[in-house]
Amino acid sequence: MQNAKDTFYITLRNRLTQVNPERTMLLRSVTRPGILVEEAESPMALPVLDAFTLRWTNLTMLPQLPLPLAQMSCEIYYSTAGTQLNSGLDRGRLLEAMDAELQQMLSPQSAPKMNYTTTPATGMLTSIFWSEPEFQPAVSVRDQISRVALLTVWNWQEAGER
Amino acid sequence: MSTSTNIPAMTPTARRVRAYFAPVNRTLGQPAVFDPSLSANFSLDAPPSPWMDLGWVEAFSRRSASKYGLLAAGSPANTQYQVRESLDATVSLRFSSWSKLTMALAAGSQHMNVITAATPAPGSGNGSGSKGVAAVSLAASGSTVTFLAMASTDAAKFAAGSLVAVDVDYTAQTGYVGSGVSAAYVASAAAVNSDPDYIRRVTFNVARVQSVSTTGVTLAQPLVAGVPTAVMKVQPILGFVDREGGSFFQEWSALFVIAGDQGERIFYYYPRLQAMGGAEEAATPLTAATVHVASSKSFTASSASANVANLKNAAATHTTQGASLPSSSSAQVLTPMHINQSERISLAANFRALPVTDANDGERAVCFRTFVPPAFALI
Repeated sequence: MQNAKDTFYITLRNRLTQVNPERTMLLRSVTRPGILVEEAESPMALPVLDAFTLRWTNLTMLPQLPLPLAQMSCEIYYSTAGTQLNSGLDRGRLLEAMDAELQQMLSPQSAPKMNYTTTPATGMLTSIFWSEPEFQPAVSVRDQISRVALLTVWNWQEAGER
Repeated sequence: MSTSTNIPAMTPTARRVRAYFAPVNRTLGQPAVFDPSLSANFSLDAPPSPWMDLGWVEAFSRRSASKYGLLAAGSPANTQYQVRESLDATVSLRFSSWSKLTMALAAGSQHMNVITAATPAPGSGNGSGSKGVAAVSLAASGSTVTFLAMASTDAAKFAAGSLVAVDVDYTAQTGYVGSGVSAAYVASAAAVNSDPDYIRRVTFNVARVQSVSTTGVTLAQPLVAGVPTAVMKVQPILGFVDREGGSFFQEWSALFVIAGDQGERIFYYYPRLQAMGGAEEAATPLTAATVHVASSKSFTASSASANVANLKNAAATHTTQGASLPSSSSAQVLTPMHINQSERISLAANFRALPVTDANDGERAVCFRTFVPPAFALI
């Protein structure tokens, strides 16, 4: 499944740079697109504001098909406190902007699967594909507002793939 | 890691069906052709001519209704041969968008344009519209598929945003009428009261006006019949009307495409589909109850966001003590939401497939199914 998870992240990251190149974050002293995979970063006390955080949760295998089909649940969390310039009063607008960006990043809902453990990355034989996002209600906590989008990512397990 | 160069024959996965329709030349009995050997890789957003994109459809269902018989012999009797007794198939679907074409396809019979009534309105009214305002002539030249050239005084009769029908006068023609698309069948001039507006009343050559100038009217969409001829005239219309009844059967060529998640494509090409039902709609509530996808580790419960959760609890307490602000702290609780009566209305359409002859072997067929496998899949 790691190829699928890597492909999903890289696909969204690349699309984010097209959708909103201004959305960047400073993480481990590197400025990079504002999206990260939680399990691939150091534990954080607080989620990164104004960035998308991917979390992989459930996993189901459908083995009775020509290739095993992995069905993976992904939560995409994002939050904002608005801008200092506007004293945070624009946090609702910024959350809405992230809603729209995420929708654009998720379309089209498939991507050719890549193996990023090789240099350069090599294309695989199948594509990953995913469901429509289920946007959960916005949550306001003091000066921050956040949302989680839930979706399912499917991955054909190719021969020899772990 | 994967070392294979191919994958086994796959199970297609897809989520939607896209529909394309093209007019059948009813007079000559010629359906539009979809040749997969020439067009299987067309962009779904730009279908080859003459196919018209009607977008994603819902509840697509196709059914074989062909009947088979058998010839049995012996004692006890056992089947020796099978015979195909009849060839029949049906298709049903729902259009989510309402347009001239989708309404006509779903209505089954003649589909009419509601021509703006003349003033004062003649007669006492009519269910499919009264006598219309006088039609406007086109200039002898200058019109295009999206521009109607006319005198400035005539152009002034139209407003940006209005709807127009563009077609020839009815002059006692019989048979199929309508430019670009056979829109109705006229048995006799008397049947349509020799109404000069009759063809414009049923024509598919309609469009919305984008802007008006002293030289003519610019359309927001191309006319299905192509560049209008100088003998065509223009009338304003308000919308569309169809009936439960009528003797005409819409007949169109149809192409349905399933684009699989692995790049495969499935085509269902029906050369001749005739409507087999009257006007029906399907209503779907806009706000179905929210179904939460339970997760073993949600963000609000994780260690990584524990502090946020604490903040959330603190905020909830704060707002309770404050002035009972409507807090969204229950945002991820599994509750149905926004239950109201809003529904979206889809057009339900049902068709019967009629046969054509396959030029490759002379066999009769009502549908052609084409499968283009995904890359790397064994076949």
